[in-house]
Amino acid sequence: MKLKIIILPLLTIVFWQLQLNAQTAQEIVNEMDEVATSAMDQMADLKITLIDKSGKESIRTATLKRKGNDKMLFRFTSPAAQAGISILSLPDEVMYLYLPAYAKERRINASTKGQKFAGTDFCYEDMEVATIGEKYTPKIIEENERTWKLEMTPKAEIRTVYSKLIIEVNKNNYYASGIEFFHKKSGLIIKKLTNHQIEKIDGHWIATKTEMIDLKSNHKTIMEMTSIKFNNGFANDEFSLRELKK
Amino acid sequence: MNQLSNLIIRLRFSIIVATLIITIVLGYFIKDLKMNPDILSYLPENDSISLLFDRIGEKYGGNQTAVIGYETGDIFSREGIDAIVQITDTAELFEGVSTVISLTNIIDIKDIDGILEVGKLIDEYDLPLNDREMKDLKQYVLSKDMYKGTLVSGDASMTMIAIKFAEDVDKTKAASILKDKIESIGLPGNLYYGGLPFMLKSVGEIILNDIIFLGPLAFLLIALSLFFGFRSLRGVILPLLSVGIAIIWTLGLMAILNYEITLISNVSPIILLAVGSAYTIHVLNRINETNETDNLKRIQKALAYIIVPVFFASITTMVGFVSFIFGSYLTMISAFGLFTALGVLFSLILAVSFVPALLAVCGNAKSNRSIQNNKESILFKNFLYKIKNMVFKHPKYIVFGWIIICIVFILGATQIQRKVDMLDYFKKDDPGRIAENILREKFGGTLPVYINIKGNVQSPEVLKMMRKTQDYLESLPEISDAQSVADLIEEMNDIMGEGKVIPDEEDKILNLWFLLEGQEIMEQMVTNDLDEGLIQGILSTSDSKLMNEVVNSIQSFIDNNKGEEFVLEQTGFPSIYKKLDESLIKSQFQSLIMAIILVFIAVSALLRSIMKGLFAIVPIIATLIMLFGFMGITGIPLDVATVLVGSISIGIGVDYAIHMITQYNHSYKTFRNIEDALNQSILLSGKSISINVISVTFGFLVLLFSNLVPLQRFGALVGVTMISSGLATLTLLPSIIILSDRILPKLFALKNINKMIKEPSTRT
Repeated sequence: MKLKIIILPLLTIVFWQLQLNAQTAQEIVNEMDEVATSAMDQMADLKITLIDKSGKESIRTATLKRKGNDKMLFRFTSPAAQAGISILSLPDEVMYLYLPAYAKERRINASTKGQKFAGTDFCYEDMEVATIGEKYTPKIIEENERTWKLEMTPKAEIRTVYSKLIIEVNKNNYYASGIEFFHKKSGLIIKKLTNHQIEKIDGHWIATKTEMIDLKSNHKTIMEMTSIKFNNGFANDEFSLRELKK
Repeated sequence: MNQLSNLIIRLRFSIIVATLIITIVLGYFIKDLKMNPDILSYLPENDSISLLFDRIGEKYGGNQTAVIGYETGDIFSREGIDAIVQITDTAELFEGVSTVISLTNIIDIKDIDGILEVGKLIDEYDLPLNDREMKDLKQYVLSKDMYKGTLVSGDASMTMIAIKFAEDVDKTKAASILKDKIESIGLPGNLYYGGLPFMLKSVGEIILNDIIFLGPLAFLLIALSLFFGFRSLRGVILPLLSVGIAIIWTLGLMAILNYEITLISNVSPIILLAVGSAYTIHVLNRINETNETDNLKRIQKALAYIIVPVFFASITTMVGFVSFIFGSYLTMISAFGLFTALGVLFSLILAVSFVPALLAVCGNAKSNRSIQNNKESILFKNFLYKIKNMVFKHPKYIVFGWIIICIVFILGATQIQRKVDMLDYFKKDDPGRIAENILREKFGGTLPVYINIKGNVQSPEVLKMMRKTQDYLESLPEISDAQSVADLIEEMNDIMGEGKVIPDEEDKILNLWFLLEGQEIMEQMVTNDLDEGLIQGILSTSDSKLMNEVVNSIQSFIDNNKGEEFVLEQTGFPSIYKKLDESLIKSQFQSLIMAIILVFIAVSALLRSIMKGLFAIVPIIATLIMLFGFMGITGIPLDVATVLVGSISIGIGVDYAIHMITQYNHSYKTFRNIEDALNQSILLSGKSISINVISVTFGFLVLLFSNLVPLQRFGALVGVTMISSGLATLTLLPSIIILSDRILPKLFALKNINKMIKEPSTRT
């Protein structure tokens, strides 16, 4: 029995290793999606630093709550001008915005995917939690000891603002260390994302410091996550209008 | 003068070699000569309006809008929208473009069934597919003032794509490449290119064409008129050769000193051809007239006589051009004055050194056919005899006639118009002008008006002021499509249920601002630091007067609306055009007055007689009156090129007066009476003057073939002034001399003056 306990994982590892060598691009992507969605829910504090081309920084902070793939509550906490502004994202592209100065919420349209999110270099599409395997067809274009480089072409039926992505995936954790985004029309690289710190917190891999550069405007956004907690057991009504207005 | 002429003859070989070397060296640098058709660079760099305009360019991603109009049956069709997407993409991806605004990327704030949407008017990733969606879109777009007449024409047949280039980019060059790129897409329908960058591109091309085609044409015409005037090959080749070399020197020097070819300076070579050739002609004439069997001696003797008068003539011409250097606020005009004056100087130097040296080396300097003894010019003779008889019979009537003409033309001069609009540079059938007119007609215009507001743009006070300013701009009939960030804030406040107004609470504004962050259009409306904002409008007039009124009205609005929280300033095309317009007038007055004074001083000093200085400026003043009267009567406006004619006509016209007066001095010594002296002067100088009038007029008439309207006008006006200047010299000047001889002593008993007239200096 004890032996079994030892041998089984060992076998699994060996098998896994063997499989790894021959892993197809699709399998890698499936694995990535699994890693990305491994937790039921997640909350964190966010620090967003915006840096313009002249190097001028502006900082804002927010709290983030997430459940599953399609529920998110985002609330700014600073600067004072934006504190309290909240965004609730629900399934089927339903999104609400709460403006504290008006003490009113309004449903907003998030269908314009190419729009920048709150002045950052992330567009609404980049903020989506959606699993990447569902949207893109992967192809391995490079491989070394530590990473794979995948070229991701959007599936025919998918609406996206990019012509392709090139993702660098760490072999050890199936977590993307960097993504290059290519313009839909020109096919030129337009943005570059780098995950500077990838940590395992409560058994889940997460990038705690992410940098996005808009290569055309030379504008940069750095998102840093702290106080990350997984599996908080959020109820569905924590992602409701009542909660948004709090 | 004998020493100098001896020296020239002795050093003849060195002079020829040196001339060739200088020509090769300076000619080599011409390849570096750059073109600058930009009207905005007319204003000096430290001009306040031009500074603010540049600052707006830096802060808001460009200040010059290039406009592309796209016309197809219905913009709201799959092909129409696709074409806009393609043009927009091509422009956005183009190196050097800072912002692009089109139907497919403009921000749109709307409220659909209670859902607030801050996004793009047309989502390029979700283009309307079926006819219904297309129809809805069309209805929506045409229902909003923000788009109708701004981005889409009222009949939805045309749309506009507005492009701003980055500040550090050569906009003219960029516009040219961008146009080629867009043309190469091969879109169905029509494309129109307007706005300053495209206009400048066209002007640049026209200048180049003018230089390539008009230069040789002027050369040919002047050659022909020289040939018919003198009937001698040498009389054609040598003047043109010396002037050709002077032009090479001038252009080479411009390149070395980093000056650019401008709208105006491309006239310089033609002026030099017309003016500079005269000096060589004088030298040749004199050599032919000199009786001496030995070639070298003849040249030396002729030269010793002619250097001084030719020097006088060129000095006074130079004075006309030098007056631009000091008299003009506009940099291009002063540069033009400087280099044309230098060109005249070079023509002089070459005429008295290179030309005689060449004749000395080449053997027989005397033409087979004497220029002066040309019996074939009966035309001139008849004409001059008639003039002479008229002058002697009716000097009073002539002076009286001139006075009447001057009064009429002075009245005409009050009607002079001024034009600084670049559109006016193009011929009516020029594709660029047609495109610009269509764009102005459909979208109100392409030239921006800017009011910059300094202050916290997120404060209710500043935003309300922006709204007020915008309303004011819209109330002016000459301005359309006023826009500012206040529009967006009001729109969103409305959707938040609080009406289409600027909220009173800053908190609310800050909340709304959140939705605008990262929107491309914000760069064009507020500065990064949010301490300045821009209210823009489109100017829909090209009339200088109306533009001035717009600037003045805006200024008084600014003066009446001062606040602690903000500072308003205006710039943009009306202000720049107004400044240019004022500078043109100021340049005109200053350079004319300066030219007249300088000519008076120069002639008085050269002829050692204040009275003769006065005589010399009489035909000049009459000519100026004719010029401005003619402009007023025919409706030829004072523009960047025609503003030069006055001083040029002084420079050239004074030569005639000097000729006449020096010849008179000379003849008086022989005849000792006014009648005979004048008789000979009119017949002798009259011929050179007539030939010069004809050849200069021909040279300038070439400009009628220019594709730039100001240059056409310029050519016509120089023709008019040369003819009137010649006539004034041949009729008015002798009549005045006769009359002053008869009347002045009786009237004022000023014997001194009489004496001055009767006993001219022996200088020449």
